[in-house]
Amino acid sequence: MRELLLVLNVKANVLLKSLLDFRPQSLIKNFSSFLIFGGVALGVFFLARESTNYLIHQAHIGQFLYHRFLSMLLYVFFVTVNLGNLIVCYASLYKSDEVTFMMGLPISHEKIFLLRFVDNFFYSSSTLVLLGVSWLLGYGSCYDMPWYFYFTAVFLVFLPFMLIAAILAVLVLMGLMKLASRTGVRPLISGVIVVYLASVFVYFRLTNPVKLVQDVMKYYPDVNRYFGYLDAPSSKALPNHWVSEFLYWSVIGDPARALPWFFLLLLVAAGLMVLAAILAKSMYYSSWLAASDARAVRGPRTRTLRLRFMEFGTRIFPPKLDAFLKRDFWVFFRDPGQWLHLLLLLVLLLIFVISLGSLELKTGQPMLQVTSFLVVFLFDGFLLASVLLRFVFPAVSLESESFWCVRASPVSLTRLYFYKLGSSLFLVLLLAEVLAIASTTLLGNNRVLVWVSACAMALVGLALTGLNLGAGAYFAAFKERNPIRVASSQGASLTFLGSMFYLSFVAVLLLIPLKRFLDYAIVRGQVMTESLYLPLGVIALLSLLVFGLSTGVGLRAIRRDY
Amino acid sequence: MIELRSITKHFGTFAAVDNVSLKIEKGEFFGFLGPNGAGKTTTIKMMTGLYRPTSGSCIINGFDVQQAPLRAKRSFGYVPDQPYLYEKLTGREFLYFIGGLFDLDLDLLDEKIEQCSETFDLGKFIDKRADEYSQGMRQRIVLSSALLHDPKVLVIDEPLIGLDPRSARLVKDTLKRMTQEGMTIFMSTHLLEIVEELCDRIAIIKEGRIIHEQAQSASHSFDGQLESIFLELTK
Repeated sequence: MRELLLVLNVKANVLLKSLLDFRPQSLIKNFSSFLIFGGVALGVFFLARESTNYLIHQAHIGQFLYHRFLSMLLYVFFVTVNLGNLIVCYASLYKSDEVTFMMGLPISHEKIFLLRFVDNFFYSSSTLVLLGVSWLLGYGSCYDMPWYFYFTAVFLVFLPFMLIAAILAVLVLMGLMKLASRTGVRPLISGVIVVYLASVFVYFRLTNPVKLVQDVMKYYPDVNRYFGYLDAPSSKALPNHWVSEFLYWSVIGDPARALPWFFLLLLVAAGLMVLAAILAKSMYYSSWLAASDARAVRGPRTRTLRLRFMEFGTRIFPPKLDAFLKRDFWVFFRDPGQWLHLLLLLVLLLIFVISLGSLELKTGQPMLQVTSFLVVFLFDGFLLASVLLRFVFPAVSLESESFWCVRASPVSLTRLYFYKLGSSLFLVLLLAEVLAIASTTLLGNNRVLVWVSACAMALVGLALTGLNLGAGAYFAAFKERNPIRVASSQGASLTFLGSMFYLSFVAVLLLIPLKRFLDYAIVRGQVMTESLYLPLGVIALLSLLVFGLSTGVGLRAIRRDY
Repeated sequence: MIELRSITKHFGTFAAVDNVSLKIEKGEFFGFLGPNGAGKTTTIKMMTGLYRPTSGSCIINGFDVQQAPLRAKRSFGYVPDQPYLYEKLTGREFLYFIGGLFDLDLDLLDEKIEQCSETFDLGKFIDKRADEYSQGMRQRIVLSSALLHDPKVLVIDEPLIGLDPRSARLVKDTLKRMTQEGMTIFMSTHLLEIVEELCDRIAIIKEGRIIHEQAQSASHSFDGQLESIFLELTK
């Protein structure tokens, strides 16, 4: 306990020092962070408040159905926290030099485990905590809940919920590491990805949202009844269900029925924490050794990818470009953490695009069609921003501590930056266009809307690539060897929130002109594309501005002392 | 060959290097000494373009490192104190990568890699990935990479850390031979016996300022006195 408090004390001191740093650069940075994080928190607060208000009071979907939707969202949130902790814990509990150092000190293994776990939880989950808490505040304010509801919901329900996700991740990880010494790391990572994808698929098959809506709506307008018998029995064993049940009974005004779920969450979180400490005592050190062995004793790499034209002894481009391309190619594809993560994201994108094909959102109502178009457009943008944050933001940091060899070579840093920008932009634009065209076409949209989506998404791709690379250079962490940690740093969170602001602004710019266009197209049968030129022009200007400013910042940052 | 003109580097209000001027001639083996935190690595980082001097300039082979960085960098090789490599690339791939950055012709590069492999006894390790390398092996790969383009000047920061006695001998002999062939070497180290054995001239830096310069020749060697001079001046 003493060591835990010591670490928390050190963390608090570091935070305090950064907050009380009054140098102009730090002040600007802290103020920008405050503005962006504060703005997003406020945005989420109002989104939660207004969407709850709309669904309950205008769409009349009923409290039960609303809280089941909430439960589904919480499930996705749970899986995100769980997977995020699994990935970051692997780096911080099994690959970190700090752990290797601590293993040589007279500290018990379970304490090392606990210290790193707590550190890791705060590091990887802070943005999600901010989003969750803002959401709870907005949700609660819609029902005029008393102050103690917020305290209970945030500290005694939401935090244990996140903790359960994180502890489960680390327990699974310990087991996986023990297995890794026998099976190797790659098959395990592939297995984990399959299991996570399958769990999301199975969950939505079991909960069957469409059937649930139909079953509840049979009782319309008496939809505020409790339809608990419609829940799939297995879904009741999941923590997201417990949270949604707690919220449901709290807003209904029946605290006696909310309390069991609250106690269940607390007890399970505490129980899992104790279980993790017990298992860590017997398993952490042996799994750490197993992971070290798995890395050290790899044997011959007989299945190494071979691509003759990408090998170093040949050249297809001018020497410098060729050298950078091949270095980046091999460093990427020899790191399973990189290519498997890309593969996972691409599979998710594919599932998203395919699932759009099964939706029938084409209606005769212009406003509904604009809404569905913008929701899909925003989701495309969100997916693109996630891919960029994961793979483009860390691009400069990935120069790593080996950057000395580039900096001491006759290579122009401007050219290096533009090489990174060009190669990223090529792939991002390709992805953006495929995503935009496929998703809007599958929605059965007007051809002009497909064209609008393609143009706007190309501009979004341009702006977000510039933003992620520039911000990634500004917040570069050359000492960090794990790109996932780079992509989940505070700078990365700021960049992602900035991307969300930009995307929202683009959507707002498109809203009225698209509505006007569809009014003419659907109601009057006239195609008036002129009304779309102005918003696209403004988006182009905005995107070029974001791109130009970010590139300027990035170019200055990459030339900083190394 | 190497000229440092009143270079200064400030980190905030702290002067890590304060008005250092040095001139090192062609073919000279120069030893740069100083206690920990004296400013040796900062000086080297300014010489190699990794740090921008707060004031002053570094001229290497007639090129100002800040004004004409590409031409200056083309003419020197650099070996840092920590030999970081790309963990997922093999030693051979790393050498090809560096050769590409220096625009070396592929045939010449093949030849130079074989030559380096022989000189530094890289053997079968050259085709293993860097994440399997020992510190000594990394050091030898980095040394090889610094010599691929036949630089006229070599800047080395602690070149013998982590090397076993055989590898250390190999490196010392190679460096000595290179200065005899006309290469200028600027070496920072803590190993005084190495300096006595190899260097023609030394400078001692303390708290960012040069406090002592001394040359050794056949008629006037350090004669085992370097340690006492160093300890006296840096206490």
